[in-house]
Amino acid sequence: MVPLTWLVVVILVVSGIGIASAAVYFATTASGTTSGNLTITDDLGHRVTLPYDPARVVVLGPNIMDSMYRLGLRSHVVGVDCYAPAFGGLSADYSPDQIALWNLSSSMCIQAEPTFDFEALLAATPQVVLAATFVPAAALQEITDTFHIPVVVLQPPTLSGIEIDVSLLARIFGVTAGANALNTQLATELYNATAVVANASSFPTVLVTYYVDSNGYWTFGPGTFGQSLIELAGGSSIAANATFEYPELSGEQVLVANPHYLVYATGFGLNESAYTSAPFWGQLSAVQSGNLTGMDSNWLTEADPTMILSGLPALLAFFHPSSLS
Amino acid sequence: MSGTPATAPPLRLVGVSVSYGARTALRKIDLSVRSGEFVALAGPNGSGKTTLLRTVLGFVTPSAGRVELFGDALESLSILERARRVAWLPQEESPRDDVRLIDYVLYGRYAFHGLLEGDSEEDYRLGHSILEQVGLADRADDGLLSISGGERQRAVLARALAQTTPLLLLDEPTSHLDIGHQLDLLARVRDLAHRRGVTVVAALHDLNLAARFADRIVVLSRGRCVADGPPAEILSEGLLAQVWGVVADLRREPRTGMPYLIAHHLTTAPRGPGSGTGFGPVHVVGGGGAAAPYLRTFADDGYSLSVGALHLLDTDAEVAEALLIRGPIEAPFAPLGPEVRERHRALLAAARAIVVAPFVVGPSNLANLEDLRPYVRTTPSFLVSRPSITERDFTGGRATQVYQQLREAGAREVTGMEEIVRELRALSSGPPTPSA
Amino acid sequence: MEERAPPAVGEATPSGAMRLRRSSPWALLGAIVAIVAVAVALSSLLGTVFIPPLTTLRLLFGLPNACAGTSVSPDLCTRWGEIIWQARLPEIVLAVIAGAALGISGATLQGTFRNPLADPFLLGISSGGTIGAAIVFDFHVGQVAPDLFLPLFAFIGAIATGVAILAVAVSRYGTVETLLLTGVALASLLSAVLALLLLYNPSGSQQVSYWLLGSLGNASWPVDGIALGVLLITGTLLSLFGRELNLMQLGGDVARSAGVDVRRVRIRLILLASLTTGVAVAFTGIIGFVGLVSPHVVRRIAGTDYRYVLPGSALVGAVFLLGARDFALLVYPTSLLPIGIFTAFFGAPFFIYLLFRRRVGSPMGSL
Repeated sequence: MVPLTWLVVVILVVSGIGIASAAVYFATTASGTTSGNLTITDDLGHRVTLPYDPARVVVLGPNIMDSMYRLGLRSHVVGVDCYAPAFGGLSADYSPDQIALWNLSSSMCIQAEPTFDFEALLAATPQVVLAATFVPAAALQEITDTFHIPVVVLQPPTLSGIEIDVSLLARIFGVTAGANALNTQLATELYNATAVVANASSFPTVLVTYYVDSNGYWTFGPGTFGQSLIELAGGSSIAANATFEYPELSGEQVLVANPHYLVYATGFGLNESAYTSAPFWGQLSAVQSGNLTGMDSNWLTEADPTMILSGLPALLAFFHPSSLS
Repeated sequence: MSGTPATAPPLRLVGVSVSYGARTALRKIDLSVRSGEFVALAGPNGSGKTTLLRTVLGFVTPSAGRVELFGDALESLSILERARRVAWLPQEESPRDDVRLIDYVLYGRYAFHGLLEGDSEEDYRLGHSILEQVGLADRADDGLLSISGGERQRAVLARALAQTTPLLLLDEPTSHLDIGHQLDLLARVRDLAHRRGVTVVAALHDLNLAARFADRIVVLSRGRCVADGPPAEILSEGLLAQVWGVVADLRREPRTGMPYLIAHHLTTAPRGPGSGTGFGPVHVVGGGGAAAPYLRTFADDGYSLSVGALHLLDTDAEVAEALLIRGPIEAPFAPLGPEVRERHRALLAAARAIVVAPFVVGPSNLANLEDLRPYVRTTPSFLVSRPSITERDFTGGRATQVYQQLREAGAREVTGMEEIVRELRALSSGPPTPSA
Repeated sequence: MEERAPPAVGEATPSGAMRLRRSSPWALLGAIVAIVAVAVALSSLLGTVFIPPLTTLRLLFGLPNACAGTSVSPDLCTRWGEIIWQARLPEIVLAVIAGAALGISGATLQGTFRNPLADPFLLGISSGGTIGAAIVFDFHVGQVAPDLFLPLFAFIGAIATGVAILAVAVSRYGTVETLLLTGVALASLLSAVLALLLLYNPSGSQQVSYWLLGSLGNASWPVDGIALGVLLITGTLLSLFGRELNLMQLGGDVARSAGVDVRRVRIRLILLASLTTGVAVAFTGIIGFVGLVSPHVVRRIAGTDYRYVLPGSALVGAVFLLGARDFALLVYPTSLLPIGIFTAFFGAPFFIYLLFRRRVGSPMGSL
């Protein structure tokens, strides 16, 4: 039947043309054109062109929000990341303290997980998006390519990167004075910690755990912020030589290592009672002698000024109580 | 290659051997089928019928020899070309979907359609006419699963026919059909061969159906062709015994003169529990059908048997012949002659037990009773007393007299089969009695 | 009067299929396009940002004064237009494309393997695609163009598994049973590889688990263009195998005796199904049940002729996936939840319903 053959030919030709043109379009917009009078390089090495001192900014990441607040830039923020509103929304990403302190509300919600909500992003009409890397790169790319909104990725790879990000924000928003002050605070804190540790007679063994289950204790392994923080605070993590970045140590391993100090992360529904069911919890000498404390998990996991300004001193005081004088 | 399609035989196998690993399924098969012939492939299970068909279809590669379809070697033909020459009615086709019958039949037109062609008007006409040919014209719109088993078999045939091939292979097309549908299907198939010139090769397990409908029967046994010819020539009791291991009677159907076989039992008689295991010979005297049940039972039980003087055409004689029991035979209705009686006496002398069935005694077989007299003294003998001798005495009382004499001489009366079976068992399992 | 067996589930009353048969392919194509267009228009009314329905439709059809009757600024109106055209529609169109791809490849695999439980992920294609995606998530591959590398790696991963199966299909062990078992074994192996990968670098594990639930978030017009192009090619080619699939339902030997080169056809079908599934997986992640359920729905309506089941499954798959998206938005208005959750919520009970509708005691009737 001739008509059917024509139909097939038409479809195949159209498809071929379609694919070709889509691929071309894809390739040409891959660079993502955005406009503005400032060009910076973000933490991923991307060169981003964006407006100077944007009034409407979407922040995707509590670590960025921390810096923004400390730099007095809260009023520029029109949207923040959250989980699917039906399943926690804002509270899934930000602790009650953070929500209160930074004056966030669920109307600012822009769902970043499990899927990125572009509609909500567009409805917030931002000029710039500041994003941490938990947001999928593909979504960030689409924000730039399809919606032509510049995206600046702020995810410090190391502790020193926190200061770099603060400086970057200073450049974008023109708050050099405030940034310098903040960076000085950070430097002071780091210097202080280094000094205390240098005078310490010993490095106590410690375990900093952020989650437990029936198999063991999840902790920070080498190459993580948590590990850097512990080192800076003069502690010797029993997971310092683990294979994985976020290893789970078994109850036996922890019992054998028997850390002197035990720190457990709190927040987002976790408190001490959540940890008591861990294997051998009661037998750990740190628990028996009371050398354990809870700490806001944000202090330990988010690469932001709070980690250095709150987390570091807290750990330092806990690991080297005698040095605080 | 070897002959144009018009003159070359539709199917030719030359020295075809097929092996599955170590097992040889076909050995050096030579077969040539003429155009318009209806050839039946017969043979026991495992003789290679299905393998032969699958080899012709190209599903199995022969390890030796070649297959030619209309003069062309099978390997040289593409799958499509083969589909245009030979169609197949498989033994098992269990469709799962309730396809509309006319559509299902038109599936068979696959080999004649180009890539994007639909079913044309012509195709539908052909489909309907084929359905009419198989007697399913009024079911064309019904679903395949909603028709009966017999109709479905015909539908599958219709699909094969829709391939409009000059050669048709059928693998046990009657295996799931009742007797009426079997006859119907085979009649239609024969019609195809004789009236429309389609060459048909069918594997049939029912020899009688094969004899009735096929022009030619090819018998396979353990992968070899042991017979090939018209049914009247090749069907014989010997063939049945040799190939199938079955003892049968060959008869001729009076209306058509076609041979047909009535199977009786396997050549190796089954051994029953506590059986005679070769005890004997047990000699049975009878006639007119009276001995038949005893012969059968004793044969089943494994005794070796001999039978008393019988007349030709007597039922007992036929049964005895069928059971391969030896015994003297007299001309029909004639009184037992001296030669026959002499042979009978020899058998009696050799017997280890004698059973006298309740046969009707007349002048022509009175000698059977009389000749027993010296032997009942020394050989365990049993007289079946029902029906009583007086009821079957047509010798004017003489038989009754001899019967009494036999009793007085030591023959025991028994009431029937059960008792005699017990007696024989007791005899066969006891210490061997020296023959008289 | 002969006894008639009641029709088994999944088959049409022949009359329904008859009506379809009488229509020309152009008319059928037109009907499919119309149905899809209506479904798309209706779906565009739903999204995480509320836009009044009338406004939506006006914006959709490019009518002037779209925001008349609402008290929104022209700026916001423009934004609404951008939301609909740049964010919402691409996702809807991707749902149509991915649903169609999964539907038609599910139907293909069910026909090729004569197994009513076959689905596009039967041959371990989902595991292969997930490994590809996990590599991108874990090792941050291709940061220069993440929206290219993620689909690319996922596609390659999916196809690699498909090719492995094909290698078996081509060999002399390529029976239906062997292929099925190899696919299952491969899927298990790849799951273990994935677990190990994530152990080494858990940073990607969150994204991998989202990936396994599927999402339409990667949609954009270029993505849709590429996906549609590939689907049109593979889908059209697949639809040409309707006859062969019909015959193959009667058994491999029967099909072969009727002229179908079963081995070659099987290989081509598996290849095309892998490509079709791969392109869906590349852009949406793993979405289950669409490929499993769509062919069954089509068979109930239009009979078991694969010339209709294949394109029909594409249509049903598209509508099913769109429906799942719409349902999710209706129930959770401001959230964008993984669409695989909802295809399972609908697909699984519906499938069980189909199972129970089978005639009791019927020997493997088509579901």
